[in-house]
Amino acid sequence: MSVLTLPSTREEAWRWSDLSGLEALSAAHATGVAADLDSHWIGDGPRLLFVDGRLDAGRSRPGPVTVGTVDAASTHPLARLAGGDGWTLAVHKDGATPPGAIEIVHVATGGASHVPARIVMAEDAQASIVETYVGDGWANRLTRIELGRSARLMRAIRLVQGSGFTSLRDEAVLGAGASLVTTILGAGAGGSRLDAFVTLDGAGAYAEHGGALLARDSQRHDAAVVVRHAEPEGTSRQLWRAVADDQATTSMAARVEVARDAQKTDGEQSLRGLMLKRTATVNLKPELEIFADDVKCAHGATVGELDAQALFYMTSRGITPDRARALLTQAFIADALSRIGDEPVRDAFQAAAEAWLEERI
Amino acid sequence: MLKIENLHADVDGKAILKGLSLTINPGEIHAIMGPNGAGKSTLSYVLAGRPGYEVTDGSVTFQGEDLLDKEPHERAAAGVFLGFQYPVEIPGVSNVQFLREALNAQRRLRGEEPLSGGDFLKRARAQADALGLSMDMLKRPVNVGFSGGEKKRNEMVQMGIIDPTLAILDETDSGLDIDALRTVGHGINTIMRKPDKAVLLITHYQRLLDYVKPDFVHVLAAGRIVRTGGADLALELEREGYGAIAA
Repeated sequence: MSVLTLPSTREEAWRWSDLSGLEALSAAHATGVAADLDSHWIGDGPRLLFVDGRLDAGRSRPGPVTVGTVDAASTHPLARLAGGDGWTLAVHKDGATPPGAIEIVHVATGGASHVPARIVMAEDAQASIVETYVGDGWANRLTRIELGRSARLMRAIRLVQGSGFTSLRDEAVLGAGASLVTTILGAGAGGSRLDAFVTLDGAGAYAEHGGALLARDSQRHDAAVVVRHAEPEGTSRQLWRAVADDQATTSMAARVEVARDAQKTDGEQSLRGLMLKRTATVNLKPELEIFADDVKCAHGATVGELDAQALFYMTSRGITPDRARALLTQAFIADALSRIGDEPVRDAFQAAAEAWLEERI
Repeated sequence: MLKIENLHADVDGKAILKGLSLTINPGEIHAIMGPNGAGKSTLSYVLAGRPGYEVTDGSVTFQGEDLLDKEPHERAAAGVFLGFQYPVEIPGVSNVQFLREALNAQRRLRGEEPLSGGDFLKRARAQADALGLSMDMLKRPVNVGFSGGEKKRNEMVQMGIIDPTLAILDETDSGLDIDALRTVGHGINTIMRKPDKAVLLITHYQRLLDYVKPDFVHVLAAGRIVRTGGADLALELEREGYGAIAA
């Protein structure tokens, strides 16, 4: 790539972003050598390994997923870079992916990779996808999601990269009665920008988008999510937990838009931040834009520190201060991870969060 | 076992304890009584090492070691247990996990092997049964949604599981009805009335002492122990009030 045009922090939607490292990551060369990845697979279902954005066919068994040119494009400042080859999952009417989840591991080995994906689910189809980001480099992804009537998609995304940057852009359109549940865990050491635009485009659709982002050192996580209720009787939940330690910054901007016709919308945002040190920063921005008059939209945003009384109570019972902090932080993010329906996946995500806390605190 | 000498302590720069001395030997149960604001809870927090409670003078040795030199978790591992007047709620952490972590952290610090999940649950079940708390409650988050009485019973269950050498029980009787008081009293006797253990009962009222008979009763007033006696002293206090005795 010759010249990278990136949004500036002067733009409201990017004010908390730190894209300063992307220029260098774009210019860097990937080594292409992916270390041992076995520990990242959770189940025995279909799996795809992308090394620097290219499928490693020898270590993949794509099942229902096809790899090739993807019919997806975006005008999003980062996602527009994600053209060319990627992966597509199409699930036909009443179809379901194999039991367990489809697992996709993205390894970056130092450079930048831009990969589009498309998930198309017909009426009453069901699927569960787990994506894991590891390695060092810039992984930039665009995921287009189209859910037909009453289709159900569960997504769980785990960021555990050692360094670099992960930028994800989801653009999802949900039909009547469709359900999309996306849970993101940031428990690596790289930066991130997590963008999503979810449109509830049929009556009675259901969308959840949230997760837990843990940041330390000078790391920065930045989530910007818009859920748009375009049709009536939709339900949306945005439950985010932001944790920041050291000089790190975790930012979350979550927006709910309710169109004039989207009566009986039930929207809820719960944004909570936890600062493990006073040098850390948590930015939370809940936004509501409501044009319908018969809706229920709740939002809450709070930032705090660990409860000193609880810490003393725990240490007075013999738990070390470090462990007490880890347990309380784990408890703080538990709500967000509990949204993952598949138990082995939830366990794996909890273990990743615990590993972060153990290493850190 | 515990020797407190000339203890002075400040909270937020205000002197609360002003020269408190007290010696507790193995096998003894001591009750400290006193009016509100006398420094009873401060004493318990100072002994457990709560941040913000600053010792300005004096010494506390426990089993021959300087207790004040230790961190709160080290004091616990050394055998000191504080039963809280207001047990803290910890959403998201189950009692079972909390207690197993606590017990095994103590064992690790003492150089002992951690207790297996099975052995721990056996121990937890026995203590919960003895104190009338269901295992279901132990699986719930620590003290969340517990009534005042249940929280106090939970403190005793924790004490039973941890099996300390010295229990400092800060107003364990407050918020208990008569039945719960009897259960808790019985728990204290069962767990702690042993030749190698000791109890420091901090209480405002005499009624717990109907169930746990103290060997010594001390009156704490204005940061010092002003009078010491046997179990009878508690009855006298109940009859005549603190005013007459602490004066």
